[in-house]
Formats: sequence, C-alpha cells, structure tokens
Amino acid sequence: MNSFQDLILKLSEYWAAQGCVLQQPYDLEVGAGTMHPETFLRVLGPEPWKVVYVQPSRRPADARYGDNPFRLGKHYQLQVILKPSPSDVQALYVKSLEAMGIDLALHDLRFEEDNWEAPTLGAWGVGWQVMLDGMEITQFTYFQQAGGLELAPVSAEITYGLERITMFLGRKRSLYDIEWVPGGVTYGQVRHQDEVEFSRYYFELADVEFLRAQFDGNEAEAGRCLEAEAVLPAYECALKCSHLFNVLDARGAISVTDRVALIKRVRRLAVACAKAYVARREELGHPLLDTEALEAG
Amino acid sequence: MPKGEFLLEVRCEEIPARMVRKATQDLGSRIFQELLNRQLTPREIETGFTPRRLMVALKKVPGREPDRSEELTGPPASVAFDAEGMPTKAAVGFARRCGVEPDELRRIETPKGEYAVATVRTEGRPTARVLAEIVPKAIAELNWAKVMLWGDGIGPWARPVHGLLALFEGETVEFELFGVSSGNTTTGHPVISPKSIPVSGLSNYKSKLRKRAIEVNFEDRRKTLSKGLAAAAAELGGTMVEDPSLLDRLTAMCATPGVVAGRVADKYLELPREVLIASLRDHQSAFTVEKDGDLLPAFLTLMDRADDPEGHVRRGNEWVVEARLEDAVFFYGEDRRKSLEERAAALDRLSFHEKLGSYAEKTERIVELCGFIGRQLDWQEESRDAARVARLMKADLITEMVNEFSSLQGVMGGVYAREEGRPETVWRAIYEQYMPQGSSDPISSTRAGRIVGVADRVDTIIGILGIGMTPSGSKDPFGLRRAAQGVVRIALEGEMELDLDLVAARAYQQYGSRLERDAEDVLSVWRPFLFDRIRHILGLSDFAYDEIEAALEVGATNLPDLRARVAAIHMVREEPGFRSVVLAAKRIANILRDAPEQELRADLLSEPAEKLLYQAYQNLKDDIKKAEQEKRYEACLRTMTSFADVLDRFFVEVLVMDENPDVRNNRVALLQAIQRSLSRTAGLTAVVVEKTGDGNGKAVNG
Repeated sequence: MNSFQDLILKLSEYWAAQGCVLQQPYDLEVGAGTMHPETFLRVLGPEPWKVVYVQPSRRPADARYGDNPFRLGKHYQLQVILKPSPSDVQALYVKSLEAMGIDLALHDLRFEEDNWEAPTLGAWGVGWQVMLDGMEITQFTYFQQAGGLELAPVSAEITYGLERITMFLGRKRSLYDIEWVPGGVTYGQVRHQDEVEFSRYYFELADVEFLRAQFDGNEAEAGRCLEAEAVLPAYECALKCSHLFNVLDARGAISVTDRVALIKRVRRLAVACAKAYVARREELGHPLLDTEALEAG
Repeated sequence: MPKGEFLLEVRCEEIPARMVRKATQDLGSRIFQELLNRQLTPREIETGFTPRRLMVALKKVPGREPDRSEELTGPPASVAFDAEGMPTKAAVGFARRCGVEPDELRRIETPKGEYAVATVRTEGRPTARVLAEIVPKAIAELNWAKVMLWGDGIGPWARPVHGLLALFEGETVEFELFGVSSGNTTTGHPVISPKSIPVSGLSNYKSKLRKRAIEVNFEDRRKTLSKGLAAAAAELGGTMVEDPSLLDRLTAMCATPGVVAGRVADKYLELPREVLIASLRDHQSAFTVEKDGDLLPAFLTLMDRADDPEGHVRRGNEWVVEARLEDAVFFYGEDRRKSLEERAAALDRLSFHEKLGSYAEKTERIVELCGFIGRQLDWQEESRDAARVARLMKADLITEMVNEFSSLQGVMGGVYAREEGRPETVWRAIYEQYMPQGSSDPISSTRAGRIVGVADRVDTIIGILGIGMTPSGSKDPFGLRRAAQGVVRIALEGEMELDLDLVAARAYQQYGSRLERDAEDVLSVWRPFLFDRIRHILGLSDFAYDEIEAALEVGATNLPDLRARVAAIHMVREEPGFRSVVLAAKRIANILRDAPEQELRADLLSEPAEKLLYQAYQNLKDDIKKAEQEKRYEACLRTMTSFADVLDRFFVEVLVMDENPDVRNNRVALLQAIQRSLSRTAGLTAVVVEKTGDGNGKAVNG
C-alpha cells in the first residue's frame, strides 16, 4: 500500500519521465497549486510547458483544529501542467494511476463533469472530477481562460489530492492515520500540531488590523512593481493579498459587501500581472517556443 | 451492410451527462434535415450514445441525389442576340459562366421583357460525397451549453474529439474534423479494450460493442441498469426507493450499466430517512433500499463496468459513503444542539437579498401576510397555525444539514420541528413549504402549509419585481416563474378563494420603502406574469386557450373561481345557441366601441324585434345575475343562449344607427344593457367560433 511519500515519489517520477520539469512548491502561502507561477503564468501565451510539483495549499476556512478526520487547513496537491494538452492526455493520466500501483482492470474509473472557476484569478476551465470506485481522486481541467485572457494553446491541468488518495487507497478512517513513511511516521505525527496551531491563528489570533494593513501594503507594492515592469515580484504581492483575504475571511472579518470589493481588488492584480507577463514574454521573444528540450521527454 | 445505411460514431472524451443525450438527437436530426433538403430522405433514424461516443444511424438513404435542371436568366435578349439572332459577346460570357454552349441559350418572355436563359443540368452526386460534406459540418455546428478548446486551440466542441467512424453502405465516408480523419473502426473501453475494432455496419457495430459490454442504446441501457438495481435490492432483502431522474442521470453517465451494492453500518439508520436518502443521492448518486417502509443499511449505485471481481469497487464506494454519513451524523448532532426558535432568532444575520433585507425581515412579512390571507379566506385556525409556521419556516437555512444539502431545505426544518414535538400541522407545513417543486409534485397537504406557501412566494415575487429584476427569456435567477407557478397551483388545488391581486398589493406595502419601483408599476408587471402561469397551468387541464382568455377578461385572480368560469365555457360552448350568442356579443362590441353610456327608455322602443329583445332582457337579466352571484356559471351561460334567436332577429330587422338620434341612442342603450348581462361569467368576445355555417357570417362584421 502506498504511503504519502510513496505517492509523491511515484507520481513525480512518472511525470518527470513524461518530460515534465520537476519543480518544487512555491515558497509562499497559496490556496492551490494553480496559483504557483508555474501554472498561473506559464499557461499564458504561446510557449509550451510541462511541469510537475507538489504544492502545500492553504484553505484557512477548512481548518478544524486537527479534529476533523477529513478536513485540513493545509493540504498537499500534486499538480501537473501539460501545455499544449496532448491528444492522449487522458491515457497519460490513466497510466499515472497504474504507476501508483492501481490495476485498472479491477476498478471503476469515471470522468464526471466538474468545471473549474476561480473568480479571484479571472480564470476558468472545463473538465472533470475523476472518480475511482466512487471517490474523487483527481481534478482534471482544460484551462480556457486565466487572468481574464483567452488561452490558446490550451493547457491540461491535473491535480491530485494527495491526502485523500492515500487515505482512500489505505481505507483509513482519518487523514491523521495515513502513513507518511511506509510503516513509519504518520501524517498526524508530521502535521497535527501545525493544524491545531494554525486553526487557532486563523480563527482566534490573527490580528485583523495588521492583516488589513498587510493587504493594503501588498496591493500598493504590487502596483509599484507592475509600473516598474517587474512582473514576478508583482505577482508575489498579489498572491500575498489573496492569502490575506482568505485568512481575514476565516477570521470572520469580512462582511458581504466587503467581500465583493476585496475579491475585485485581488482579481484586478491577477489580471494586471497576467497581462504584464504576456507582454514581457513577448519582449523576450518567447524563449521557450523553440526549446527542443521540452520534446525530449 | 444493408443498402442505403449510413453509420456515424463520434468518439470523444467524456461529455457531461446533462448534455449528451440531447446533443445526439440534435446531431441525428441535423444530418437528417440536410439529407432531406437534398432529396435524400432516409426512411429511419436511430441514435445512441455513451459518455464517450455519439452514434447516429440512418437507414434506406437513396444512393445518389436526383439530377437537377435549373433555368438561369441572363442578359436581355436585345443585348444577348444581334440582328441576325446570333449570340453576342455578352451571351457567350453568360453561357460560359453557366457551363453551356452559346447555341443552347433560349429566349423567354418576362414581365420586364425578353431575356436569354440557360438550362443548367446538374448530375446528382453519390450520397457518400454529400455525406462527406454535410456530416463534419453538422458535428462541428452542434449547440452545446458549454464548449471548450483543446491542444493548440482546436475546437470548439463539448470535449476533445478523438475518433470518427463514418460508413455508407459499408464504405468509409471520408472527411476530416478537428484534425481527426474518419475511418471504419471503433474502439471499446479506453482502458479495458482500447484496440481498434473494424466495423462493417450498424448491427455489426452494436454487436461488437456489446461483446465488450458497451451498450449504446440509452433505453436498453436504462432497462439493464434498472433490472440490475432491482435484482441487487432483492438480494439485499428489500426494494429500491425509486428515483427516475437519478436513474436517467446514471444511465447517461455510463457505457456499461453495472451495479454496485454496498452496505453501511446499522448506526446510520438513526439518521432521518430524508437525510440518508439525500446524502446518498447528492453525494454518491446512490439509491437507498427499503423493506416494509423502513430503509435498510445499504445502497445501490452505478459502476461503469460489468463486474467487480475483487470487490474493490464495492469497498471503495462503501468507504466514501461511510465518510459522508459520518459527516451527516455530525451535522445532525450539531443542529440539534439548538432549537429552531433559537436559530430563527439568528435569521437577522442571513441576507435574503441585499436590497430586500434579511430573512428575519422576510419572516415578519410572511407572518403578516399569513394573517391577511387567513382573514380573506376566513380560515381562522389555520391562519394562526400558519403564523406559527412562518416564524420557524426559514430557521433551517442556518443549519449545518441544509448548508450541506440544499435539497433538504424545508424538509430539514420539518424534521427538526417534528423532533421538537411540535404538532403535526406545524411540522408538516414547514416540511412541505417548497412543494410543489416540479409540475408532477403535489402541493402542501395542510391548509397552514398552503397559506405560508402562497405568502412566502408572493413576498419573493413582489420583492424581486419591486427591485426591477423581472425575469426575461432564460434569465430567471430567483426562480420567480416557478414561484408563481407554485402560487397558482396551491391556490387552485388548495381551493383558496383568494384575490391574489390584493395579496400582492399587501405584500408590496409590507416592503415599506425598500422597493425602488412604485406600487402601480410593480402590480402591472405582476399581473401579466401571473396570468402567464395561469394560462400555462389551466392549459394543462385540457382547457382551450380561448376559454382561458375569455375567463381572464373578467380579470379575477380568485383562481378556483376563474377555473369554474373556464370550465363552464368549456362545457357550454358546443351547445345550441352559444355560438350565436358569442357572434352577437362580438357584433355588439363592434357597434358599441367607444360609444358613451346611454339611458334606456322602454317608451322609445318601436320595432317589434327590439321590443322582443327588450322583453327577453327583462326576463333574463335577473336570472343571469343571480346565477353569476351563486357561481352557477354553466347555468349563467345557458341562460344567455336564450338571447340567441331574439338577437339574431334584432340584427336582421333593426338598424341600430337610426337617423333619429334619440332612437339611435336608445338602441345603443339597449345593447349596452345586454352587453353587461353577457359579460357575466366571462368575456364572450374572446371565445373563438366559426364565422360561417348558419348564414350569420356577415353579422360578425356588422
């Protein structure tokens, strides 16, 4: 049976063998693997890209003080981007399940409609939740728009929820019981304190005034960076705003009208970064357009 | 492959269940229509689909288009032919463009003069060539609710297309679409049987897929699934709780209709039946199983494969279901830590609509409106119950359970009210507050439930109309049409003799200054909106549209009364004399159009026919009035038919527009009196009758 780290190793190895760049998590708090610049920015424009990485993803509102067997304030996604989406992308995905040791001749695999939309990123896509024996194990999306821009070539995004898959395949009753190391340290032993303390922080401790000031500050900083045509630093500031928004929301510090306004502000930054990134890549002459290395896999 | 058979299969990635069935039918009818336009009409059409393939088969399609000949008009003869009658340069050019020899041109006479014409004969093309042209276009132009691009920007279509099978009489119809070339093969399951399978025709195609456990025919698939479910339920010692829409959805989601039967721990049976059903249905697309009215600790759902050799599929589903039910147990426990009353007290923090205030405010308005409705109906006890219901009915919107399963709103409140030991009339009314949902749903079973049902819906409709959000076309984000339909059905089937215009006006008042539009404005939108629903619903009970229109002209929004009037017209319209009275009423309306009110004086009547009519009026008017007041509408209409003969005679013998103004005005007055009598029950002029047949045809235009 796969441990948590077996899954990371096997999937990373599999996708690296398909020619993906093996990237690392983005070193900032983000809500999903999609927000990593390796996805959000790379899917823009004409340049091809293939990448795989694990992204710890923070959802403050889902934090449960380590008490809930199914919910976490931070979970780990394994994210794959294939751009342009190859015509055999579904088959490639199915093989990744086989690489995990799942014999599909014995299981029920179905692709059920599930479209994805992220208003704060001006992004949406069309796709499925992939169901294995009745359990959602993967989110599969063809990106149609990001940062308010239409996408062609289209990227396929494959997102595995690592805890859920490990838990399901191991038939565990709680996330915290899954083995991080085969026969050794459990997920709970690695992460339980983290969940408890961050739940306290998100729901009790976070200083609303401080967070709001940070939001305003990062927003202004993003603007300054954009003016100076420093796209990646600007995008980092936008990501910080997005996370601050999520913390404020979990803290119960955002009213209904407030909420709409804050989402708009984050979205505006994301859209501006996307536009600036596209322009910058064009200035650089789309360096990845001729890369043979991407074909090597 | 049989003569004239065309087989098409489009293979693609999984198309959403909600779209695929209609799309396949559309594809079939598009190709059919295109062939029809080219006189290549197929005799039969068959369609089928799975999530990964759309199949269309057309049978007995003619082998080639008929030859066509067409006349094309060229330059005027004076330009086309010289003095000797020889073709000029202009004529030669025209002939070349038409593909004929110049000496084949003829002259024809037209209203604009003489012209040169060419007869162009086109040989019909073989059907395979026609199909190669129309089929890719029909596929590409399908209407989808949502489309996407893939790869380098290929598409748009519902999902990426990977394979095309197109055969006419066994030969590949060659075309290319989305970078895919058509061929003569299909494939099985992408994982289990992904190899190419050569196909020779429809029956060969279906049998080869069936061998791989794939069934393309929707009805057959549903039958198999349904049988499998019933058998699995029997094996569990019970019967399945039917859910036709879930069965349809699951059938559309698979190619191989396999059944998973799973068990859950007995302790989950402590959850209310409604919760268990909703949790299994909404989260796992699963059916429940019952025995003697009690649920069994088991569920049934779909797997898209024929078997489950090592039990992985069953155990996986059981694991997910238990996790979900564990959640439900948690929510159920949390919810019961507070009473409905305590929750209702927190409704001021739940927004109904940003411009219309909180649910606490809505609750207050509904309570008031219930009182108003109760007084109108003289349902005193029920309206007191309704007010108690109204105070609690929205409390479940802030329970964990409704947060998780929005389909349980109302139901959950009812369950919690029942557990709190509230009287059945109260908990039932809460439970059933959103009934009817669909057109086949019953209305609330209690009077209190019907009162709150009407009050809640009218409050919503007036509020949303009042902030200018009138539904239009497919845009009805607040479901006002369904709400109005609910009002109409509850009032009709619940026998609520209620003036809905008054209820609406009262609902408007209660919003105070919140609404942007003024009362008259809102009510003028409300009325046609409501009337549309009335037309629709009465139309479903076999009443003709003109019968409904006639009754609506009286303008009553007391719906049981309105229905009685419609029914009376329906019953009486074929009886002798009725047609004549309707025609006379229309004639009277024409004559009186815009005429000022006149005073009727018996002493000014001179002609025998008008005296006779006056006499009839004196005899009948009280009976008509009384019958209407007593709501004996059929009797009322039948009494009117007694006017038929005297009115006919009046119009033959008497000229209304007499030279003498006193005589003229008196005749107008007589007709005005008759018109008032004839408009009791309904606006007869709206009833459609044959104008010819008994010699009165001209009278209509009189």
